Amino acid sequence: MHTGPEPPRAAALAPAPLRPVVLRAAADAVPVVAAYVPFALTLGAAMAGSGVPPLVAWTSSPLLFGGAAQLVAVQLLGGGANVVLIVLSALVVNSRMLLYSASLAQHATGWSRRSRWAGAYLLADPVYALALGRFTKPDGGGDARLRLAYYLGAGLTLWTAWMAITGAGVLLAGVLPAGLSLDLAAPLTFLLLVLPMLTSRPAWAAAATGGAVAVAASGLPLGLGLLVGAGAGIAAGALVGRRRG
Amino acid sequence: MGELLVLAAIGVGTYLMRAAFLATAGARPPAAVARLLQYVGPAVLAAIALPALVAPHGRIALEATVPALLAALVAGVVWRFTRSLPLALFGGLVVAWGVTWLLT
Repeated sequence: MHTGPEPPRAAALAPAPLRPVVLRAAADAVPVVAAYVPFALTLGAAMAGSGVPPLVAWTSSPLLFGGAAQLVAVQLLGGGANVVLIVLSALVVNSRMLLYSASLAQHATGWSRRSRWAGAYLLADPVYALALGRFTKPDGGGDARLRLAYYLGAGLTLWTAWMAITGAGVLLAGVLPAGLSLDLAAPLTFLLLVLPMLTSRPAWAAAATGGAVAVAASGLPLGLGLLVGAGAGIAAGALVGRRRG
Repeated sequence: MGELLVLAAIGVGTYLMRAAFLATAGARPPAAVARLLQYVGPAVLAAIALPALVAPHGRIALEATVPALLAALVAGVVWRFTRSLPLALFGGLVVAWGVTWLLT
């Protein structure tokens, strides 16, 4: 299914080396890391200023490995929101991972059980985007072994960078100049995550409704605006999707 | 301590959602769930991003809202033409800096 164009003779002699694939994955991850630097720094600074002990707030990086949910969780924790509401909000934010999980599973059929459980930990937005970009190429990213090497290479590169840069943000909080408008980095990053998802009218309806309702509901108690907006957006997407059949 | 527990609970929940279909390769979400799931990403991310762009720091103010919305517009346009995440992001930030500087 995922056989490449190389002659079968080469495949029979020796398995393709993993090293070039891992290096390729790391190289593909570099521009993504660069794009995430401002957001990761701001997130770290937000952790340091949230009122939650900075080290505790930073553990959200290894525990959640997902900036949007981390930002929501740390802000709500610092604001003293209801604990159930915090967990619920962060999990709703991260429930898009279910979609990534289902989508990536189709490309992971040849991976060992252990690899799939381990790989799940790394399944964040940019890792998914890089992996899918590779696996949906005509050669499918090579055989299962090569695909796993690429996935882990990209995932671990982004994971390491994320730990380091959010940590740097915690340490640099207060030193980062306010004039850099770095607090815009978070919403701009989310915007750039949304744009590639807007491939259909229902997706547009979900994003437009979700955003507009969240703005209108931002006066609600801490955290509720996000949940109401997200719920309205999902409903709008489903409604438009159904009407179109 | 309580905060760490909250984060750990979210972490476990997140890991289980990431593993849900990947760990049992071959399993698929029910069709009705899959239909809803495809709208979660756009709805949730827009619901986080838009309030922060329209009302930075929790309120609508000319000198904060205008640079934020212009930055978003430029980031979107740059992404549309280059498909480059870093270019679009830094393009947006540079515009925000410039407009903020002009307005203050």
